[in-house]
Amino acid sequence: MKKGILFLLIVFFSLSVIAQTKLDSVQQLEEVVLKADRYLKTFTNTQKVQTLKDTVFSRSAPSLTQLLNYNSTLYFKENGLGMVSSPSFRGTTAQQTAVAWNGININSQFNGQTDFNTINIRNFDGVSIRSGGGSVLYGSGAIGGSIHLNNNISFNEGFNNSVYANYGSFNTLDVGVKSGFSSKQFSVDVAVSRSSSDNDYDYVDSDKTNLNGAFYNQSISANFGYKINAKNILKFYSYLYDGEREFSFIFPSETPTKYQDLNSRNMLEWNGVYGKFVSTLKLAYLTENYKYFANSNLDTYSFGKAKTLIGKYDLSYRVFKDAMLQGVVDITNTSGEGSSIDNNKRTISSFSLLYKQQVKSFFYEATIRKEVTNNYDSPLLYSLGLQYKFGNHYTLNINGSKNFRIPTYNDLYWEGSGNVNLKPETSQQIEIGNQLDFKHLSFSATGFYNNIKDMIRWLPTGSVWQPVNTDHVETYGVESKLDFKYHIKEHQFSLGSSYAYTISKNKQTNQQLTYVPKHKVTGLFNYQYKRAALYYETLYVGEVLTLEDDDPKYILDAYLVSNMGLSYALGKQKQFTVGTQIKNLYNKNYQSVASRYMPGINYNFYLNFNF
Amino acid sequence: MKKQFKFLAYALLVSVLITSCSNDDNDDNGSSSLGAYDNGYFVLNEGNGNPATASVTFVGDEGIVVEDVFRLVNPTADEVGSYLQDIFFDDTRAFIISGSANQVTVVDRYTFEYIATIDSNFSAPRYGTVENGKAYVTNSADWSTGADDFLTIIDLEDYSTTTLVVGDYAEKITSDDDYVYISNGYYGSGNAVTVLNTNTQTMTSIDLGTGNSPNSILEEDDDLYVLSYDYASNGKIFKINTATNAIESTIDLPASLVGAKNLKIENESFYFTVDASVYSASMSSTTISDTALLTYSSTSTYGVMYGFNVEDDKIFISDGGDFNSNSNVYEYSLNGTLLNTITVGVGPNSFHFN
Repeated sequence: MKKGILFLLIVFFSLSVIAQTKLDSVQQLEEVVLKADRYLKTFTNTQKVQTLKDTVFSRSAPSLTQLLNYNSTLYFKENGLGMVSSPSFRGTTAQQTAVAWNGININSQFNGQTDFNTINIRNFDGVSIRSGGGSVLYGSGAIGGSIHLNNNISFNEGFNNSVYANYGSFNTLDVGVKSGFSSKQFSVDVAVSRSSSDNDYDYVDSDKTNLNGAFYNQSISANFGYKINAKNILKFYSYLYDGEREFSFIFPSETPTKYQDLNSRNMLEWNGVYGKFVSTLKLAYLTENYKYFANSNLDTYSFGKAKTLIGKYDLSYRVFKDAMLQGVVDITNTSGEGSSIDNNKRTISSFSLLYKQQVKSFFYEATIRKEVTNNYDSPLLYSLGLQYKFGNHYTLNINGSKNFRIPTYNDLYWEGSGNVNLKPETSQQIEIGNQLDFKHLSFSATGFYNNIKDMIRWLPTGSVWQPVNTDHVETYGVESKLDFKYHIKEHQFSLGSSYAYTISKNKQTNQQLTYVPKHKVTGLFNYQYKRAALYYETLYVGEVLTLEDDDPKYILDAYLVSNMGLSYALGKQKQFTVGTQIKNLYNKNYQSVASRYMPGINYNFYLNFNF
Repeated sequence: MKKQFKFLAYALLVSVLITSCSNDDNDDNGSSSLGAYDNGYFVLNEGNGNPATASVTFVGDEGIVVEDVFRLVNPTADEVGSYLQDIFFDDTRAFIISGSANQVTVVDRYTFEYIATIDSNFSAPRYGTVENGKAYVTNSADWSTGADDFLTIIDLEDYSTTTLVVGDYAEKITSDDDYVYISNGYYGSGNAVTVLNTNTQTMTSIDLGTGNSPNSILEEDDDLYVLSYDYASNGKIFKINTATNAIESTIDLPASLVGAKNLKIENESFYFTVDASVYSASMSSTTISDTALLTYSSTSTYGVMYGFNVEDDKIFISDGGDFNSNSNVYEYSLNGTLLNTITVGVGPNSFHFN
């Protein structure tokens, strides 16, 4: 193993020597350190990253599920609108999708995943979708890909405020207020958001109603930046989320249940730029708390709470103008307990080394990471990415990596079922990405292959469940994206479309995994004339197996859902936007999860004011 | 296509049954043509939480298997629910209990035509019985305590319901001659049997003694038989005189038979199971041998011997499988020879004979 690392290092440096590019000694602090999640810029060049913000946000419902479902190749399994929602990225499980908040992995310590309906997008400046393995950068779970919730700290921009309000069917309210101020030295911004809904929609073609489905969540985020001097910046990111959801019924006589979340995330960051060195120290403290009420009418509940302290230091060194070497050390200490979990602590340390270099049209990046912990044996993780630009229009990317997902608290310590002998799941993957860029058109297609071993699985059985490293899953497929923009005078047209073909097979049974559609398509057509915009978005999700049995009666039908919207900008600087949307335009009766009916046609109105 | 095929199969089945019945001249009340599902048994497939996976399979005496009988007969009726817990009968009706939906669906016992859904006064319903014009259904309510367990009493004229708190774990239930018998055992907790006089609604508790947690209860020839087991003692079979509510005799199971359950009586013999094995003993004997009558092979982690019954000189076993795909039912002769293997639905947990 050590020999392998040494070999890689030698390769890096020998290649570096070949590139005799002159070092640009003047470093712009802003360029290097303004984003908390720097890896997205610095070490994700050979994988696809898609960033959503601004207009896409204001046209989306506030949940991360809705945003990504209509705008990416991610597939969502949603237990009814607003209920528990788990993503599948390239045919992997929800736990194999990492969610990073300003660069820090925030998947639950208990179940290893993030419920995408417990993230309100209005607290963030952008959401990025990064396809493919990234465990070296983002740790456990970054197997199918990762989702990045980012706040940008900016300087010297004066006041920036925005108010967003949306009201729609089923008494659904979505409000977000952001206020920011920055001078040359200081930066502060605060965002408050609230989303709530009675969520009591009528099922299509039925006399039944979605009962016990109400929810609310509110979050507040605050971010500060202070330039100590030309070389040092201090930043502080803070986020608090509080939400409560009833879990909707399938049958009106069910016992009502509900779920509460209270999560906080705080991070202090110190950036320093010293000549060719950039140093970043991060200290983060995360808490998660949940309460599950098996009967909403009673005061009794089960719970889980965890505290995570993370210390992370990275130092990057610009070896040449076009070459960078970076070393990272981090320590994560978690303590968690719950109704069915005794208090358990675990400490994980990791060491990473990253290198990238541009040699004319050729670019490569290579990374390795090793974790050390007493709780389980951790494999050596690595990635290698290559890129070649053929002229101005075509770019070829190749990326291969080894990734992992560590056993969660529930997996290890659940009373009576936890298995302390679990190993991490590991995945080896390779992808080839093709990118075509023209003036009005861009197209990308990425073929991927992912071999996932020792997958941890809780057998869905009668009264007792237990996790085991059992499954061996192979996923492969194609992700593609097409964007087209054109304008004639004041008429602007744009078309954005994505298509994912996904095979995700259990090697033992050779059967497609449950809740992984082979086909998913999204489409967005936008037409803008002066201040008015008309858009039409559509989502197609292919049929899925709901059980590990291909008996047709357990197959959930494919569905095609379309939404339409209109918006108009007012004010001198078009700072005031009003809009309306019709969702599920054709009143399609569909289910994302079997027996969990989604709403039919519904409406909403929104205002967005920037000042 | 599939639906058409099912319809044809159903039509064929009905015509076969009708034809065979019409030759039966001795039948003066027409009972042999009571319906398509008159001659055979139902397997209850509890499903895995998603109602689409919960179903009832019918196995006819001629070996004809009809999947998902309820939806086949009643394509537009309200769903029966998920985590299907039990089916119980009166003379003409079948009552299907859904644990998660807190409801009981009433269908015609022989045609399986939908009659009604009863959804008031249930909280995690478990098992049911019919006595004296009323149905009695046990409810666990809060799983962590037996103190709140209760009976839902259903008036079978108008399907109105009332409740009666049992005050002890209320699980398996049976009845005879105006009395309802409830086993107060729940996965090793509880050690009594409650007797309810349906005329006076008064309850009497019969103590089985510490460590004797009942898991099966049945009534035969005016005696009540209870199989108990918990981690503190040997399993026992109690014989209780229903006239006096006194424990008349007790048979200890061999210490090697740990975790016995599923007591049944057929042809003057006891049958019960331990893990994947079936044991039997004559009702007149005072000891029980630990030699298995048969052992079936199962790869199920938690669904071994998920359903068990003995009827018409056959032993019926259902395997829970992985609770994530269709599973199997095995029919054995009384001497342990495998007769049939039948594919049924998800999580088959019990057999109900017409």
